[in-house]
Amino acid sequence: MTHFTIDATSRTPSIQLDDKAGTLIIAGESYPEDVRRFYATLSEQLAVFFSTRPERLHVTIKLTYFNSGSARALMELIDQLEDAAKKEIEVKVSWYCDPDDDITREFAEDIALDAQAASVQILDLDGDTDR
Amino acid sequence: MEFDRFFKFSQLLLRDEFVLSYSGYVSEDILEAVGDTLRQRLENHARSDKQIRNVFSIFVELMQNIIRYGVDGPQPGPSDSEKPSFGIVMVSENEGKMDVMAGNFVSNDEAQMLQSRMAFLQTQTPDQLRLLYRQRLREMPENHSKGASLGLIEIARRSTVPLTYEITHSSDGLSFFMIRATV
Repeated sequence: MTHFTIDATSRTPSIQLDDKAGTLIIAGESYPEDVRRFYATLSEQLAVFFSTRPERLHVTIKLTYFNSGSARALMELIDQLEDAAKKEIEVKVSWYCDPDDDITREFAEDIALDAQAASVQILDLDGDTDR
Repeated sequence: MEFDRFFKFSQLLLRDEFVLSYSGYVSEDILEAVGDTLRQRLENHARSDKQIRNVFSIFVELMQNIIRYGVDGPQPGPSDSEKPSFGIVMVSENEGKMDVMAGNFVSNDEAQMLQSRMAFLQTQTPDQLRLLYRQRLREMPENHSKGASLGLIEIARRSTVPLTYEITHSSDGLSFFMIRATV
């Protein structure tokens, strides 16, 4: 079934969706040439995964840089996760931000406010200290 | 080009504080190539990783704005490209701070819109910019007629001083829009 992988390029992050482990990892940099198309593929794969009614999904986001177009795509990703969480899938997001990148951290905090059913935790990229 | 013009150009650009400049037609491929070079140059010039990230981030948003909203320059562009966007981007160092500047031709109507967006952004505090960014994320991408684009707000947030801009009008229905962010 869904074991979906995209390798990282200089402009796009690596994506690993593992249906057996119930994990999704997004890591690297994100300023794709065609941001809608890149994230639409992930969204489709997630929809397939959620349609199998899994118990849980643990999402790890480790993006060292993303542009404003990717920010919108990430917001839509969190919306999709929130919808799944409302349908009794346990969704946890661990969002790793560089401690000295205020703008990215504020973005993650603002996005976390929009998630009620899904839990979004914001962590430091170097070391796993909660803040 | 005559040697005297070429010499003046090189005198202008070969000074110490100059980090990188690109002028010409801008595409996603050029954004990537120039962006890679910029990062390498910043390793030698920037004071911190944070400064590198903010300069690079502003650079990407400026280039993508030119790709999206820029128009052809006074010299006609390559005819095989879909939508030629002419622009100039420059990064320079000034007493430890980095200026990131961009200039591109826009229609006079677009220039008027940019003028009001920039004037509005200049009045916004960091907290207001954060809120504005959040609101704009929730709106449909580029409802082109109103408000600053997400990219411009991102630039304003990553600049440590309010953005400055100038618009010069030319006779042929085009304006030249210039913007400066400082990190």
